[in-house]
Amino acid sequence: MVEPRRSSLSIILALIPALALTIGVPFANHLEPRIFGLPFLLDYIVLWILLTPAFMYTVYRLEHRQE
Amino acid sequence: MSGTALGIIAAILLFTIIFGWLAVRSIRMDPTQYIVGGRSFGWLLLWLLMAGEIYTSFTFLGAAGWAYTRGAPAFYILCYGTIAYIISYFMLPRIWRTARENNLLTGPDYFRFIYDSKWLGALVALVGFIFLVPYVTLQLSGLEILLRIAGYGALNSVLAVGIAFALIVLFVFFMGLRGTAWASIVKDVLVLLGVIFAGIVLPIHFFGSPAAVIDRVLAEKPTWMTLQGTTTPNGTVWFVSTVVLTALGFFMFPQSMAATYSAKSAETIRRNAIFLPFYQLMLLLVYFAGFTALLVHPGLKGPAGDQSFMLVLQQYYPPWVVGAIAGAGCLAALVPASAQVLAAASLVSKNLLADYGFVRTEQGETLATRIAVILIAVLAFAFWAVARTSLVGLLLIAYNGVTQFFPGVVLSLSPRTRPNPTGVGAGIIVGIATLAYFSATGASIPWGLNTGFLALILNVIVLVVVTLVLGRRAVSASP
Repeated sequence: MVEPRRSSLSIILALIPALALTIGVPFANHLEPRIFGLPFLLDYIVLWILLTPAFMYTVYRLEHRQE
Repeated sequence: MSGTALGIIAAILLFTIIFGWLAVRSIRMDPTQYIVGGRSFGWLLLWLLMAGEIYTSFTFLGAAGWAYTRGAPAFYILCYGTIAYIISYFMLPRIWRTARENNLLTGPDYFRFIYDSKWLGALVALVGFIFLVPYVTLQLSGLEILLRIAGYGALNSVLAVGIAFALIVLFVFFMGLRGTAWASIVKDVLVLLGVIFAGIVLPIHFFGSPAAVIDRVLAEKPTWMTLQGTTTPNGTVWFVSTVVLTALGFFMFPQSMAATYSAKSAETIRRNAIFLPFYQLMLLLVYFAGFTALLVHPGLKGPAGDQSFMLVLQQYYPPWVVGAIAGAGCLAALVPASAQVLAAASLVSKNLLADYGFVRTEQGETLATRIAVILIAVLAFAFWAVARTSLVGLLLIAYNGVTQFFPGVVLSLSPRTRPNPTGVGAGIIVGIATLAYFSATGASIPWGLNTGFLALILNVIVLVVVTLVLGRRAVSASP
């Protein structure tokens, strides 16, 4: 199998959700607005968990072009 | 009542053991098969194994326990797993390839090979073994809680933990790694049903909807759903540093390395890494179970919080419901415990005994592995009797320790960044010494930082300084 081509774009794409779920958390540390009845902090975390596979799938597609 | 609930648990466990045993009986058990499943797991089996090891009695009881006793700090568990999968996408395929090409079996094997250093392998094996003890204790303690509650007073704590101990040893001997992965199928289905019951049915039964539970908790405890303060205990600094520490440590556990090695291909690992975050959302339901218990059965303190929603079930539901959910919970403890005990035992038989020529045959290694299984189970039992801390507390102790391996692993991935083995070893020793100091003296950590995070920083400083002083040793091995 060909070693995937790693570009700085894939690193940046992976860093976005990672940073959102670490240093982003203190900025989302609110109760309001409540979405789906959850406190905002939990909404924020759940949203990023749902987005993470999308980011990582994009990384995967980028690295596996033209194989 | 206890007869019904315990009977159902016994039936569930028996069914799982038979299922796992039937799946593996035709396979000859040499060390490669026993420890890394013959390196042939496709994406489904790998997914089950990884999920099986990750979603444990910690998820089932501990996360609910922290939602019950602390509130928002429990949300850290949602974040760290997700980040760990992102890291694993980049890191694990390379480790897998090195392991495959050089026939590595354990986590420490990787250190021994990549740094060409037998003592570093032994050090990592020893530290890995020591910090797996609290993790196995966590499973033991989870089993104890479930059996005691399902026993309706018929089992005291000591008897329950004794049964738990016997179950773990029995499970490991019957299953091996492959059986454990198959048992994971039964476990995942049952745990999912159990968590849906506890996280959706319970809130609807008592309060009409899961969202209503949040309103009710906020009415009673307005601070419960957000982090309080910055540098306070469990404040935002603690939260971020704990997420980072545990995300880095996630795949440093010996059983996670073994799970990685068991993959059939690097592609399998990448696909897993992309989709495993969805699995995290199960935790949301566990939080709802914990919050519901907080309203319905208030007053549990500290480690007792781990029993929260099981006590609600015991109080308001018939014994068969308690038995079914406790049975699922028992599997959530036994399946990961089996993988952890096996991994810990293989560290002893492979890296501490076989690498130094104390055992020389495959049969000898398999026997040594089996004796080590008993040893770690006994140590976990002893730690249970002494420590008496919450499930999350036990997990954080284990993470603090194994995360100290991370710098040595991540820097080894490229020959250009590979540090001096003595630096890696010295860094690990300093990290562990830092943990021991804070744990022995109870000294407070600056800015609410997680202790393990501080230890990790000192570890990296030592690693860099030693490498600069001694120079990087040219190592022939390439990843």
